[in-house]
Formats: sequence, structure tokens, C-alpha cells
Amino acid sequence: MSVPGAPTAKEKKYDRQLRLWGAGGQQALETAHILLINATAAGTETLKNLVLPGVGQFTIVDHAVVTDEDLGTNFFLDDSCIGLSRAQKTCELLCELNPDVKGNFINDNIENIIKSTPEKLKEYTIVLATGDITTSTLLDLDKILYPLDIPFFHLRCVGFSFTCRVAVSEHAIVETHPASTIDLRLLNPFPELLALAEEKASTMDDKDKMSTHDHGHIPYVLILLRVLEDWKSSHDGKVPSNYSEKNEFKSLLRSKMWNADEENFEEAIAAVLPYFNPPSIPSATKAVFEDEKCKSLTSSSTNFWIIARAVKDFAEGKNGGLLPLPGALPDMKAESKDYIQLQNVYKSKARADLAEVVTIVKSLLKELGKKEDAIREEEVETFCKHAGYIKLIRGRSLKDEYESSPNAKKISNEISDPASLVHYYLGLRAYEAFISDKSNSKRVAPGVEDSTVESDSEKLNKHVVELLDKLSITHSSDLLEATSKAIGEIVRVGGGELHNISSLAGGIVSQEIIKVITKQYITMNNTIVFDGITSRTEVFEL
Amino acid sequence: MATATVLRTESPDRWKYLNNILTRSGPYSDEVFVPGDGPKEFLAGTKILVIGAGGLGCEILKNLALSGFKDIHVIDMDTIDISNLNRQFLFREADVGKSKAEVAAAFVMKRVRGVNITPFNCAIQDKDDDYYRQFKIVVCGLDSVEARRWISSTLVDLVDPEDPESVIPLIDGGTEGFKGQARVMIPTFSCCYECTLDMLTPRAAVPLCTLASIPRQPAHCIEWASVIQWPKEKGDLKMDTDDPEHISWLYTQALARAKEFNIPGVTYAMTQGVVKNIIPAIASTNAIIAASCCNEALKLATTAAPYLDNYMMYTGDESIYTYTFQHEKKPECPVCGNLPQKLEINPELTLEELMEKLQERPETTLRKPSLRAGGKTLYFQSPPQLEEQTRPNLKKKVKELMGDGDELTVSDPGMPFVLRFVLSFT
Repeated sequence: MSVPGAPTAKEKKYDRQLRLWGAGGQQALETAHILLINATAAGTETLKNLVLPGVGQFTIVDHAVVTDEDLGTNFFLDDSCIGLSRAQKTCELLCELNPDVKGNFINDNIENIIKSTPEKLKEYTIVLATGDITTSTLLDLDKILYPLDIPFFHLRCVGFSFTCRVAVSEHAIVETHPASTIDLRLLNPFPELLALAEEKASTMDDKDKMSTHDHGHIPYVLILLRVLEDWKSSHDGKVPSNYSEKNEFKSLLRSKMWNADEENFEEAIAAVLPYFNPPSIPSATKAVFEDEKCKSLTSSSTNFWIIARAVKDFAEGKNGGLLPLPGALPDMKAESKDYIQLQNVYKSKARADLAEVVTIVKSLLKELGKKEDAIREEEVETFCKHAGYIKLIRGRSLKDEYESSPNAKKISNEISDPASLVHYYLGLRAYEAFISDKSNSKRVAPGVEDSTVESDSEKLNKHVVELLDKLSITHSSDLLEATSKAIGEIVRVGGGELHNISSLAGGIVSQEIIKVITKQYITMNNTIVFDGITSRTEVFEL
Repeated sequence: MATATVLRTESPDRWKYLNNILTRSGPYSDEVFVPGDGPKEFLAGTKILVIGAGGLGCEILKNLALSGFKDIHVIDMDTIDISNLNRQFLFREADVGKSKAEVAAAFVMKRVRGVNITPFNCAIQDKDDDYYRQFKIVVCGLDSVEARRWISSTLVDLVDPEDPESVIPLIDGGTEGFKGQARVMIPTFSCCYECTLDMLTPRAAVPLCTLASIPRQPAHCIEWASVIQWPKEKGDLKMDTDDPEHISWLYTQALARAKEFNIPGVTYAMTQGVVKNIIPAIASTNAIIAASCCNEALKLATTAAPYLDNYMMYTGDESIYTYTFQHEKKPECPVCGNLPQKLEINPELTLEELMEKLQERPETTLRKPSLRAGGKTLYFQSPPQLEEQTRPNLKKKVKELMGDGDELTVSDPGMPFVLRFVLSFT
């Protein structure tokens, strides 16, 4: 039996995620190609969480052969894989998870690829580097990827802790998934809305002209608009602005109830505080409007910037600082037809605003020498619905963090707090310095042997001191006690991964990668640190 | 195993890193932690129970197997559905329809050598106290509040104050979209699941009159189809929300109603979402929460590092944010507290009305409550003779049956414990 609207096989399989990121997000995911550098447990777990929801392709670059240690931490390897290519074997077992996904592997070092065929890195949507990778290799990758706008993730997972850094120069999010996009325009109603309030609520104080049933079913938005007119006429045309006036307004509403159980009036009273706010453009949206990329469009401007500019022109033009109306209406006590009528008033206004923005977009495209229909109306509509909730993230490259402009202030502010996870950040930076040290060409991890635990810990502490000195951050052994403890935990495990922490890291990093690929939800910026002893995360902009 | 592969002896390198944290002390290790072979042997000998083999359960089984646990049981009464495959990574398309517990256990045992997983394709309520008593730790990956309440109160009941071995820690995880939580409950020592029930946001019920006469939202049309039309048109036929024909019927009905009232937006997916109360779920979030739970299990079993005391909330939809805190034990908790809760009540209400009021309370999931007060039986649902004897009380006023300050106890087949109230007349 076939029913119109019934889901396809693919919709059935992906039902639980489509409810989050929709067909648009899924489409973005299915055309993405992820590069994983080193099939560590954390890297493989990240891929698992991307293969399952149906990422288009992945490629694993890894020169290692599978060892017994791998089997103790990586679920996507088994006894039969020992001694074989780790890139190949993890790729094969990951591919079993989802026949829709294409897996590739390159049995080589990333250093060789950077040297011989760096242009191949352009093919990827996202690059994720894991494992014992050195600072110079990270900076080489950053140098290639950052200018190409390819988001670069670096995940370092050791023992009970991990850090993940994302380097992306610009990430613009329209579908941030706010809790609601409701804008009722109560304090600045448009004419059609006022006319409806007049039609439906003008006789609300007259028991001869309105039945008790009808009185109890006036949509609360119309009650508020009607009573607001009364208020304005007795308050020099002003609306209730402060807390006490709002309370006074609530009492006025209560006095207009005909009996104690009129839910629509209760709803009106409850809506005063959340919805009686003067219109303003949120700071995140303002930041987009004020951005140079919005002010001066060029022929290479992306759709985001062209639409943003159109919305800015719309708001700053005759609309007196108002963004396009999203058009959503919450449910409220009302007769079906009255509610639908009210909903249509909001929807019509939203459509009219959209049409104006579309016109501006077209003229902008024309000015830029592009086709007028180069941007689809659906894309403009999504932007208009979210105009008050958009978010622009301006990232920093690894080079910024390591060399040209380290955020020393942030580190120095955090360092005096022993509970701050910046101590794990410093500890893991020291770990990286340890394995990047030229005298350690085999990249032997700190604490590999019981006998080296103490001396390696000392070396890591020294690396922290060197880093802080380089950043001109004052420190003392007191301040570094927490860092020293973090180092103790890092060295304790001997450089390896604990499966739980790797799996947790794979969960968090895959969430971030999904957010970046789908351009939905708000990505973290730019470093997350996790400590599995206290089960806490912190995000630092470094 | 049927295949005649020669098993290599396990190399000591396999668990090298795990062993490092067991044979070496860390700066945050507990004072009682004695690094060496002790924690290793204890871990291998720890019998651990996993409840649920779904999105969280698959991850939990994998994680425990790779954390050195060797003796794992898993209970799940569900079978595999196509919509599980986007996250329940131990299952393949060919497994649809099979027992989740059995397929998951077999897969992990095949992949990770040396681990023994015993599956049970049944309800947790089918197992008795002696069964639960054999475990050192219970880890839950469930989507049902009722099952969580049941296992939590069962583990509280198992506690014998004279016997520290009778305290079985319960680790519980839950997810929704990009968010989730992991928590550790030490029965009678820290808060139990029941203590924190008020953290749940109850699903707002739509008044019946809205469904029946003034629908405004697509969801109202769908609920009308399932709550009003189904019993009217289908009589005694039980609605099966997993049956696509049933969903299709509801969808068609809802669509017609929406058309009648000019309500836009009814879709098949929404119909399914409303009638099944579908919670969005992805692999990533399950991975985070399950790993957090298993990290706590490993810490509890080995004391290699302090465990979470006692709640971690994770939010991933707006940057990344975790809130880790200690949820307090509730002194008046009906499961692990010993103080009855205060119940304000109008003495003029009838007993029947009082029962309706009790059913509205967030912490009660009463279906067929029985009531006692001041040593008297007020109303019992069974046996039938007692129900018949006590039925006339339903029409009597509260003040005729009990006094201000009396203790009222409520029991119900839906709750494995008794609710205690002190009456306060208003």
C-alpha cells in the first residue's frame, strides 16, 4: 500500500537525524568528503559517527600497521588485522556501517603528502588530524587549508583528557536553531494586524455585543493589541516600558476578564513580560551588518553576504530598523478560524517582507554582474526567518595561535584558577612539544616506560615554562601546580588513548563537524578542552 | 565459535594504556587506590549489567568491552528497526526484526576477544532481586522514564545498611538531539532517580475540547486522529505505532481534518513523531553520553580516579557546554528518603476527585492507585471483593475519611514503591 507523503527507505533510515537538520543538512552531509589523518581510536570513532548518518566520503591517511595496542583501544580493528595497514583495515570495518558511504585509504604519511601532492588536500570538505602529529606538520597543514577556507580540526587525545582545535577563517550560520523565532510585533504592529484587532476585539468590554463564549476565545495577541490602544490613549501615546508599568498593564488585563477561568486572558497576562520589548536588531546580526564583507560586496561575495546586505538595506530603509518578520505564531486559546486568520495575517506580512528582500537581492546581483536568479528564493526565505538569530564566527589560524598573535591574555587570565581546564591545554601543548622535539625523532611519548615517568614529567613542565615565557606570561610554581598535576595525568597513561575518552572525543568532534558541514547549530570557537576526571569541558578562543 | 581460527595468545601490549592507569597512581587518584595487579584483577572480575541495547546501549557495550570489563550482561526487550541504523552501529540491515540484546552481544564478543556478554531479550521487570544482586555496577541507556524509575527504586530496595556489598551504583545516561546527561547514583548515599524527577519537563497536554472542536495546530489534528477517531472508527483494535498501516490511517485522517479547518503542515513524518513521541537521536550524542557513563564505570570499578559526583549535563547545539554539579538527595523522596511529602488538599473534595488530583502530579505515574490513610483502607483496586467493598468510599468527602495531618499512602502497579503524604487541609 502506498500512501502519499509516506517516507522513502532513506528517510526511514535517517528519520531520527532528519528531525534535527532536515533534508538540507542531510544533502550537505552527503556531499561532504572528510580526510582523517591517522586512524587513532579517537579519529576512527569520529568517523564512525559521521559514516552512520551518511557522510558522502571519507579518506584515511595513515602509514602505521595495526598493533596489539591498537586493538585495546580501537573497536574498528580485530585480531585478523594485526600487522596490516591501519588505514586500510579501519576503512574496511567502518564501511560495513553504512553502504551509502564511500571509504578510501592512503597508506602513507601526511608529511609525504604535504611534500609531494599538497594540491590534493583541496578535495576535502574537512580535514581532521589526530595522533602524535608534530607542531611543524600542523602548521604546514594550517598554511595550506586556512587560505582555502577548508575547516581544519586538530584533536589530541591522551589518557583522561583531550583538546580539539578548529581553524576556519569564516563560518556563517543562518539556521542556528533558536528555541523560537516568534516576533509578535506587539509594540509596533503593522496595519493589517491592527485592523484585525479592531475587528475582533473592539467590543470585548461590551457584554451586549459579545457572548461569553466569544470573549473567552479572543486570541490573546488581539486582546493585548486592543488593551494597549486603551493604555496608550491614557499614557501620552506611550507603551508600558518598565517593570512596574508592565505589572500595571497586567492588572488592567485582569480587570477585563469576565470570569476567573478565561485562559486567553491568562495567556495575555503571561505574554506581557516576554513580548513587550521594543524592537532592536540583536548584536550578532548587527555585527554581520557592520562587517566589511557586508558593506562592500564584490563579484566573489557568497550568497550569505549578498542576502545579509539585502536584509540590512531592507531594515535600514523604510522599515525603521525592523528585520523581516519571521511569521511564526505560537499556539493560543482561540477558535480555529480566528487563529488561522491571525496566522495568515502574520504569514502574509512575512511573505511581503520576503518579497521586498528578494527584490533587493536581485538588484544587488545585477549590480554585481550576476544573474538575477543566482540565489534561490528558498535561501532568502530561510535567511529572513532567521535574520535575528544568524551568527558569524571569525576564526583564527593555528599560525595565529602558535606564532603571529597568541591569545596570551586569555591564558594568563585562566592560569590563576586551579579549576580551569587551561592547565590541560598547557599540558597537552607540552606533550606536543615533547613529541615534536628534534631529538625525539621516533616520537616516543612521555611516560612510555615506568622508569621515565618522572623525568618525562619534568620535561613537560619545562616545555610549559618555555611556552609561557615565549608568551610573556608571568608564572610561578604556585600558579603552575594545577598544570603540573594535569601533566602528571597526561604522562601517567604513557602517551596512549583510553577508549572511553577517545569515544567521547569522537562524539564531540563529530558533532562539531556536522555543525560545520550542515551550517546549522552554533559551532564552538575555537578550542575545546575535556577532562575526564572531573567530567568537564571548557571552550577557549585561542 | 565454529570457525577453526587459531587464537593468538593475548599480548600484554593490548591493554598497555589501560594498564598504565591501573599500575600507576595519578595526581587525582583516591587515597584508597593501590596501583598494581589489584585493580586489574578487580576490573576483570567485576560483573556489570547494561540495561538497554539501543543507541546508548550499543556504545556502552563497546566501551565496557574496551575498558577491561570481562563479564557483562545486557537486557533489552526491543527488536531492531530500520530507523535504528543511523546510530546503533552494531546492527545491519539484515538484522532488522532480531533481538537487540542478542545481536549486540554477539557482535561485541566477536570483535573484542576475551569478553563475555550474556544477553536477555526480556523486560527488566522480569528479573528478580537475586538477579540484580549479582552485579557490582548497573549502567542504563534507556529512553523510558518508567524503566529508569523501576531500576533505581529496585537498587535502593536492595540496600542492606549492614552490608556495604549490597550498594550497587547506578550510572544513567540520556540524550535528546545534541544534548544529553550522564549521572552516577549511589543508592541511599546520593540522590536516586526519583529525587530528580522534577527536572523532567512534562509534555504539555492539549485540552480535549481543543482536539474535539477547535484545532489550530497540525499536532491537534494528529492527536484528534489518534485519541478520538481511532477508538471511534477502529473499536477495540489496539493501535500499533510501529505498524505503517496504522500510521498511514492516522495520517490520512489528520490530513482530512486539517483540510477542513485550513490548518497547514500535517505530514507523515510529523504524524509519526506525534503519536510515537519521537525524540531526535544521533550517533554523536550517544557516543558522548555513553562514553561518559563508561568512564565513570571504569573509575568506580578501579578507583583509578575519582568518579563523578553526580551529574553532568551536555549541550552541543550552541557551542559546547557542560554543567557538572551535585544534585542533592531529596529528604522527602518517596524512594530513598524517609519523610512523607506534604499534600495540600481541600477536605470537601471526594476521594475520587482526590485521586484525579494525585494523577495530575508530575511525580506520579498512577494508573490504578490504591489508597490507605490512618491505618484504614480507603480504596483498593484489587482483589475484586476489596474493590467492591471500598468502592462506595470514592463518592465520600475527604473529611469523612481522614483527618488533617493524617498520613496517606498511595500504591500503584505502575510504581515499585509507595508514595507517602501528610495531609494538610486547605
